[in-house]
Amino acid sequence: MSDVSVGNLETSIVRAVRAFRVSPEMLLTAATIVALTLLWFTLARLKLVNPLFLPPPEDVWRAFVTVLTKGYQGSRLDQHLVASLSRILTGYVLACLVGIPLGLLMGLSTKVKAVFDPMIEFYRPLPPLALYTLLVMWLGIGDLSKVTLLFLAALPPLTISAMQAARGIDRQYVKAALCLGAGRRQLFRHVFVPACLPVICTGMRISLGFTYTVLVAAEIVAATAGLGWMVWDASKFLLSDVVIMGLIVLGLTGLALDFLVRRAERALTPWRFQ
Amino acid sequence: MIARLSIAAALLAFAVWIPTAAHAEDKPAGITIGYLNLVNAQLVSKALGLHEKEMGVPVKWLKFGSGGDVNNAVAAEQLDFGGVGNPPASIGVTRDLHYQAVTVLNMLGSVEALVVRKDEHIASLKDLVGKTAAAPFGSTTHYLFIVALRNAGVTPTDVKLLDMSPSDAVAAWLRKDIDAAYVWEPSLGRMVQAGGEILLDSGKMAAEGYPTWDVTVVMTGFAAKYPSYVTKFVKSECAAIDFWMTKPAETAELVAKELGLPLDDVKRMMAGTTMVPCARQITADYLGTSAQKGKFVDTLVATATFLKEQGRLPAVKERAAYERFVNPSFLEAALKP
Repeated sequence: MSDVSVGNLETSIVRAVRAFRVSPEMLLTAATIVALTLLWFTLARLKLVNPLFLPPPEDVWRAFVTVLTKGYQGSRLDQHLVASLSRILTGYVLACLVGIPLGLLMGLSTKVKAVFDPMIEFYRPLPPLALYTLLVMWLGIGDLSKVTLLFLAALPPLTISAMQAARGIDRQYVKAALCLGAGRRQLFRHVFVPACLPVICTGMRISLGFTYTVLVAAEIVAATAGLGWMVWDASKFLLSDVVIMGLIVLGLTGLALDFLVRRAERALTPWRFQ
Repeated sequence: MIARLSIAAALLAFAVWIPTAAHAEDKPAGITIGYLNLVNAQLVSKALGLHEKEMGVPVKWLKFGSGGDVNNAVAAEQLDFGGVGNPPASIGVTRDLHYQAVTVLNMLGSVEALVVRKDEHIASLKDLVGKTAAAPFGSTTHYLFIVALRNAGVTPTDVKLLDMSPSDAVAAWLRKDIDAAYVWEPSLGRMVQAGGEILLDSGKMAAEGYPTWDVTVVMTGFAAKYPSYVTKFVKSECAAIDFWMTKPAETAELVAKELGLPLDDVKRMMAGTTMVPCARQITADYLGTSAQKGKFVDTLVATATFLKEQGRLPAVKERAAYERFVNPSFLEAALKP
């Protein structure tokens, strides 16, 4: 076979792939997922690993169906999901409402920054679980302490990105707009918002991802429902099928949330995606 | 670089060590013991270095907050010996953890109790309906709490039962977030001091036919490879129990130092915990003998059955699995003159 025909074959595959609007990267992603699933089936089928560590896929599927229909410790899967999502979204939306304006102010005024920066920088690296112990003492065992922990986790990426966005505004744009006779409102609408939004959007994505990782910590103490709690509780009873099922649901939900934020990013800053 | 070298050295040691293990019995390079945050003779062996003396190997002690955490460490093969109560042991055996009970650590008495808030006027378990209570899920107290509620004719789900470690429960108690908690000392004592009274304790539950206890477990793989070292380990545990029984004052001081607690607390905790001398451990009430296993097997089966009813375990295993778990043979060997 000559080089030319190999080249032709390649181009025809590429064309066929393009016809289905599937990029080679998407194919690679799909292949990776299929390969990992096959590996899981094989390991389980050949009994190469202790089922306690890696239960066979059918057990995990059965756990999914059972928890979806009959529930786990009093709540069905959808109720666990709603409990977790409402905690995450409450904490996250509150953090957006507080963190973004605060960050913008911190970026515009060094005095505001001097007040808030040390606080945020101090608690930001603290392990969420350590922080949570204190929050339980202060705020109790109800949802307030859980939502507060998620709020605190969501806040730093938001303020930091908003602060950087505000500081990064090109003064030339501001001067130019002022020269052209822009009022305060126009300056805000046509210079500030478009200049800051991209960085803020990135911060919002990072923040949501980070908030999500704190979920299990937030649900460890005194929760009776929630995906994080379900995984934690099942691990105490060595129910690894429920643990893995819970982790898969957590992972997929996280992906879905990230997808939504990216969609919002596209809608808010369309010029970056042209 | 040094880290990498030491990993390589460890791998090499591992590779050399596997083939030789099949021949004569080797000496373990060291042992790791996962111990519970409880007051029992294990703390004496730890403080006096009894295992090091008897076995001649370095000992690493890892502290665990509950038997459930020990189970997870066992599943991850991080321990050689550990301590678990009967509920974690039932869970472990039912979920195929490879370990065996070799000695009785302690029988639980008033060291674990159900404490209720005085100002809530809770005179019986029935008064707990609609109240908020806490217990560490998967532990002995969680198990006894639900058993007690059920026996008193209360549907366990009518009480808002929350999963909390004893120390978290103290915080929630001080904030008046919870009205009751079934936990162990020293957290229990703090709650009693802060407006609590004892409604029920594990000693009372034992008298009603629901004994709870903790046992020392050894990994099955370790026991197969180093049987004589397990016997040595059991010997030093027995020596620690003897020390506890004959020298209570010295023991209290050792334990207080070990846990960093006031002497009075320790004395109260020691009074609420029963040690079983090794010679008695191989009688029918405890582990029994290799030929005729004791009542601990019944407790394990009863606990597993109960956890299954509560939707906590998918299935209960055949009795033989729990009988295999209780292994008095090392104790029998250690007791031979």
